Amino acid sequence: MRRFPWDILLALLLGLGAGLAYSWMISPLQVFDSEPIALRTDFKDDYRSAIAASYAVTGNLPRARARLALLGDSNLIETLNSQAQRLTAGGEFAQADQLAALALALDHGTSAEAQPTLTSTAKSNNPNQGKATATFPPTPEELPFQFTETPPASDTETVVTLSTPDNPTPRPTRTLIPTVGAPFALTTQDTVCDANLPDGLLQIIVFNSSHRQVAGARIIITWDNGEEQFFTGLKPELGNGYADYNMSPGLTYTVRISAGGDIASGLTAPTCQTPTGESFQGGIKLTFEQP
Amino acid sequence: MKSTRWLFILIALVAGIGIGLAYGWVVDPVEFFDLTPDTLRADYKTDYVLMVAEAYHSEADPGLAAHRLAIFGSRSPSTIAADGLEFARTNGFSDSDIALIQELVTALQAWSGIQ
Repeated sequence: MRRFPWDILLALLLGLGAGLAYSWMISPLQVFDSEPIALRTDFKDDYRSAIAASYAVTGNLPRARARLALLGDSNLIETLNSQAQRLTAGGEFAQADQLAALALALDHGTSAEAQPTLTSTAKSNNPNQGKATATFPPTPEELPFQFTETPPASDTETVVTLSTPDNPTPRPTRTLIPTVGAPFALTTQDTVCDANLPDGLLQIIVFNSSHRQVAGARIIITWDNGEEQFFTGLKPELGNGYADYNMSPGLTYTVRISAGGDIASGLTAPTCQTPTGESFQGGIKLTFEQP
Repeated sequence: MKSTRWLFILIALVAGIGIGLAYGWVVDPVEFFDLTPDTLRADYKTDYVLMVAEAYHSEADPGLAAHRLAIFGSRSPSTIAADGLEFARTNGFSDSDIALIQELVTALQAWSGIQ
């Protein structure tokens, strides 16, 4: 009976192990030509900030959307808002504004409707292949909300790009000029007597003219010899445009949005009663909205 | 042991190494994630440079542009932008994009970095 060739099998396994060790550990495939989706999280944040900064200047939403798609975020708007809130917390308001404006534009689909003549000249290795030119003056209702100053109008052509030629041809966009937007109006001011809420809770909700909640809106609250600033969107579970503040008993507050608009003044924590007759400090709910 | 036996063992060893290398490099290579931007494909790098150039066109802040380009590593910002310009020129980017990148390159070459 012929003996099983254990020695050959052992040599094969040894060789296999040596080969795997070399290819996985000693000399793994060198990384080059990677895609943005493989970037480390903080570099993805940088990439996203650059996209938002570019969008703030060009107003080219399809191009911004195509670039964001390269990062593979499952929810573009949520990711942008989340990054905007982190930057806001870190005091980087300019970048946060740009990200929030881009999130708002994506949510609103601001420039997706324009359909001017398309000139497709996809011939480059640009990751966003495909080009189109179109420049239109913006109409007031299509101007995206933004907290920053109005940049000068760009007279350059708008270039629309896509990640792959298989995608539908992008619609060229109007060259939008971001503006500060209309001032916020105080639309409702309600007393909230809910014993389940913290005492003296001041709730603020900010909407834009499209009735969408606005993240990153800076709110200024003042009282005798004091002032604080806080931002909407830091509690996204309660809404992107939500912010709250705990009022101290006996103090009178004034609230306004830094972007401009109505001022809610004379705000004091109301005294409420439970069904059993016990007193507690109620709250106030303010709603600001762009007309 | 016969010499032919040793020959078979050697062949098996080499075959094993070959199979291991093929598996590790082709079939199931090491998966990379959390990469740094300097590993990006040239067209993605250039698109990033273009984004910075677009922002610079309005902001006119070379320091901020240099900060944004610093994600590509220790090379000078003007070199990074110049590489992007070279790629854009040779790969059919639009004239307006090339002009924006050119503007950035010029600004960064003039920028001392000391503010």
